[in-house]
Formats: sequence, structure tokens, C-alpha cells
Amino acid sequence: MKLLIVEDDRSLSRSINDYLKMEGHICEVALTYKDALEKESLNKYDCIILDIGLPDGNGLDLIREMKVNKLSGGILILSAKSNLDDKLTGLKIGADDYLTKPFHFAELSARINSICRRNNFLGLNEISFNEIRVDTEANQVYVNDRLLVLTKKEYDLLLFFMANRNRIITKESIVEHLWGDNVILTDSFDFVYTHVKNLRKKIITAQGRNYIKCIYGFGYKFIES
Amino acid sequence: MKLLTKSTFYYLILSILAMVAGGALLYLSIKKVIYTQTDYNLIIEKTILVNQIELNDSIPDLEASFGNQIDVKLFNYPIREFQSIKDTDIYDSKTDSFTPFRYIFSSGSTPQKRGYIITIFKVTDEKNELLQAIGLYMFFLFFSLFIISILINYLIARRLWKPFYDSVNSAERFDIQSDKPLDLPDTDIKEFNQLNDVFYYMTTKMRYDYLNLKEFSENAAHEIQTPLAVIRSKADLLMQQKSLNKDSINLIKSINEATTKLFKLNQGLLLISKIENQIFHEKKKVSLTQIIKKSLENYKEIMELKKITVEFEAKDEAVIEMNDVLAEVLISNLLSNAVRFNIDKGFIKCRIDNKILIISNSGLPLSVNPEDLFKRFYKGTDNPQSVGLGLSIVKKITDGYGMTITYTNNNTNHEIKLQYRNRKN
Repeated sequence: MKLLIVEDDRSLSRSINDYLKMEGHICEVALTYKDALEKESLNKYDCIILDIGLPDGNGLDLIREMKVNKLSGGILILSAKSNLDDKLTGLKIGADDYLTKPFHFAELSARINSICRRNNFLGLNEISFNEIRVDTEANQVYVNDRLLVLTKKEYDLLLFFMANRNRIITKESIVEHLWGDNVILTDSFDFVYTHVKNLRKKIITAQGRNYIKCIYGFGYKFIES
Repeated sequence: MKLLTKSTFYYLILSILAMVAGGALLYLSIKKVIYTQTDYNLIIEKTILVNQIELNDSIPDLEASFGNQIDVKLFNYPIREFQSIKDTDIYDSKTDSFTPFRYIFSSGSTPQKRGYIITIFKVTDEKNELLQAIGLYMFFLFFSLFIISILINYLIARRLWKPFYDSVNSAERFDIQSDKPLDLPDTDIKEFNQLNDVFYYMTTKMRYDYLNLKEFSENAAHEIQTPLAVIRSKADLLMQQKSLNKDSINLIKSINEATTKLFKLNQGLLLISKIENQIFHEKKKVSLTQIIKKSLENYKEIMELKKITVEFEAKDEAVIEMNDVLAEVLISNLLSNAVRFNIDKGFIKCRIDNKILIISNSGLPLSVNPEDLFKRFYKGTDNPQSVGLGLSIVKKITDGYGMTITYTNNNTNHEIKLQYRNRKN
């Protein structure tokens, strides 16, 4: 997928660029409002990752500009301001999602995937990985074309893993993804463990392979072993 | 007491004193005048009598004059000269009452060496009546003057103080969120203009400071979160590298943990400053009952994992007027504490009606005073993930809405009581 990263902090934009490239996306970086406006008028992007606080302008204005120009790509707002007003305004004028800094890359990746999936007009509401097929429209999972019954959290967990294939996902980012960042729970890591265990068991029972690998010290990796 | 009432009250007291004193003085002086007049008349009559006695050398023919009683005695020997004027009451058997009299008692001798004693009584009753009548009129005059002047005073004061009350009302309605300037009335009174200037200056300054602070906290958030995001992103990238040894993994893990803690800390402090700055001033009718249900649902799996039993008892739908974001923060902070600091196979009991919310849970006994936990950065446990802001955020929120919150700990039993003002009262 082709992505535009609009972020004025060089170090951060480079990191995002590096990570998303590893995911197999084609990325371009714009450091300023002007730069972003120019890039975005010349190219077509599937998704724009947009920081609101830019040195020469407000990211929200960029969204308005894009909507005037009828650009169809998805927009993910990235902001240090967990300011509710900004969030609501952003979503109202056409942004697809909102992520507050600092974020986990796994989360960013999952959000981008979900935006692109939703904006995909070809009706591809399916994510497949070998024998696992997820119908994101109906929120259903099939293993070897047989329906797999998952709880809401297990389903979210599976999608999160599939959006971050071959990447290490920390337990922390899983907790934040499943519960939101307001929750700090000491025991939540055990909870993640239990959920991953259950998910793995369900997939294996349905004659699927075990793709979820435990990584020492960090968390998990969804990988074709 | 209102200023107007107070000034009227003082005016009332002082004028009553002045009038009583003035009335008494007037009464006494009129009385003195009347008495002097009476005494003068008595002396004149006596002198006339003495003259007649001296002229005729006999008791003159006394005409009975109304209200006067004259008694003259003549002797054949001289009498020492003496004179006194006194009050007396004389019993009147016809009316069976005493009548006040003023009388002169005078004795002396004529040139013919004959002594005489003259006593003249004069009724002072009618004089007293006159005095009373004058007193009454005076009283009515004073009284009506008094009423009128109080009324005038009140009306004038009310008119004079109106700009003051208008200014105070306007200052009371001052909303730091709104950029509307204070609506201060124009007045030609110098002091009130001065007051208005002060009001205007203060509110402008307050608003300026408030905006500054708001801007600062927003900027601080931005400035801290971006480097944090950089650290986290670099650690994330580092983590993805192959061939990491155990030591590097532990280092990255520590970096991640510290970053998360710093992030939570920053988030918590920003939330507190936002509450203090009344960023969340919009109010809605929110149902605490529904929020609790949602929150409990969110923690369901963790509670199952810890084998915590939950009892939720909602008598009425607790609907209160507050900011919806804060309501959720409030409830989720309280419930997450109840889950977090619970023990395996513990319990959470949640009881709510339209006046009070009680959350009690099992946990380890506290080693600190439970009320201290409402202070910032005060931690009851050495939990490394806890930043010690949760309950101080709760306290900030409850203070803002005039709710009272108490935390009691009895060995393994912890109880939070939240009393909120109900919508109805």
C-alpha cells in the first residue's frame, strides 16, 4: 500500500517510515504542511498518517483541503494532543481514525490496515493467511473453511496478530489494543497469556497450524513457522 | 446581611435614639416653660392679693375663679416672710380621684404689722393634658418624619448601589471559558467605576493566564509526547531486529516499561491539569449505572481470570449531571483499582442508588492511611506499574462536582463511598 507520513519530527517520521517499509508498504515522508500538500496533490495514497501539529500549519486544515480536492485516501490522525476537541473535529471533517502519541507500531499498523480495508471499495473484506480466513464484514473467522467460534477479544487479538505478521508484538501493546490505553493492569499480562493460549488452542483444534510464537522478554510473533 | 438592610438598620437605630433623646428634651423644656409660666402667674396673683391686703387692711373679696383656690388668712400680729411653690395632689371626693395642683404658700406682714398667709392653688391638670397633646403631636410628627426619611434613604441607597449590584452579578456570571467581556454597567460614581475597572482588569488577566496555562499544558503534552513516541518507536524497531541476545532484550524491555510509565504519568498529570482548567466543563445527563455496567463488562475477563466474584446492585438508575468523559474516567479509575488491588478469589461489591455509590472489594490490608491515597504520587503499594495518580484524579473530579468521597479500609476489606448530589435536589 502507498502511504504518506506527515510528521515534522524527523526522527519519528524516519522510524515510522522504517517500520511501515518493513511491513511492505511504500512510504513517503512529508515534514511540513507545504510539503504534504504538494506530495498529496501529485500522488495518490491509500492512507495518510497525519500529525496535527505541524510547524507551518494545522493538520486539520490539510484534511479540509483534501476533502475539497476529493482525495479518496484514508486519513489517520497522529497527535500528541489527546485533546478531545481535536479528535472530534478531525473525525467530523473526514479523518478515519485517531491515534495518540506515543503509540505502539503494532497498533499503528493495525489501524492502517483497518482503514485501508474499510476504504477498499472492491469489497475485499477478507484477510487470509494460509488456512485462516477472516471475514471482517461479518466478524467471522474460518479455518480450513470451517467457522471458528471466537470471543470478541480473541477475534480482535487474531486481527491484531494478522495485521502485524512477522513482527514482535509486545504484551503491552496487546493490552492497549484490547482495552484502550486507560487501563493499567498488573495482571493483564496473565490475561494476555490466557487469551493467546485459548486462541492458539482453538486454531489448532480446528486443524490450523500454530502461528503464534512466544518471544522471550517481549511478547509474541505471528509467523509462519 | 445586605448592605442596604444594614445601613437602613443602623439608620433606624440611630434615628430612634436621636428622636427619643430629642423628644425627651423637648418634653422637658416645654414642661419647664409651662411650670415657669404657672409659677409666674401664681406669684403675680399673690402680689395682687398682698397689694389689696395692704391697701384695705382686710381680706379682699375673693372671686372664685375656675381651677383656682385662694385662701387668705389675716392675723393681728406680724409673721415672718416666707414663700414656697410646690406640687400637690388634692383628693376630690366628688370624682373620687386626685387632681394635681401647683400651689404657692406665702406669708408676710403688712406695713400695719398684720401678718398674712396666702395659699393659691392652681390646677395643673389641663397643663399636663396640653403637654401630653404636644408630646403626642411631636411623636407623630417625628414618627412620620422618621418613616419618610427611612424610605427615602432606602430608595436613594438602592438607586446608588444598583451599579454595584449589577457589577457583582456580572462578575458572578463570569465564565473563564467564554471570551465575552464582563458586562459592567456604566455609572457616574467614581468608586464604582474604579471597582468596575478592577473587575475588568482582573477578569481579563485571569482569562489571559488561563489561556496561557491551557496553551502551556497543551504544548507541554505535545513536546513531551513526541520525544516519547520517538523513544518508543526506536525501541520497537530495535526489538524487531534479529539476533538479539538476552541482555539486549532486557534493556529494550526496561526502556519500554519506563516509556510506558512516563507516558501514563504525563497523561495523568495532563488530565489533572485539564480538570483544573475546566476543559471538561460541558455537562450532560449521564447514567452512572450504565457506565458501571460497561466498565464491569470491560474487566469481566480479568475478573474471571482472578476468580473475583462480582455483585452489582442498582436500586435506581443513577442519573447525574456531569461531564461524560469525566464520569467514565471516574468510574473506570475506581473499578480498575478494585480489580487491580484485589486478591485471587476475592470479591467486588458495587451498590448504587440515586444518592450514593459504594464499591467495596477484598484486597491486602493497607499500611497507610487510606485518605492519603487521594494525594498525588502517594502509593499504598510498591507496584511498579502504578504511578499514584488514579485516586488523585478521582478526587479532582469529585471535588469539581461537590461530591464527597471517602475511602475506608478494614483489614482486607476496602470500601469507597461516593456521595453525589442528585439531579432532584
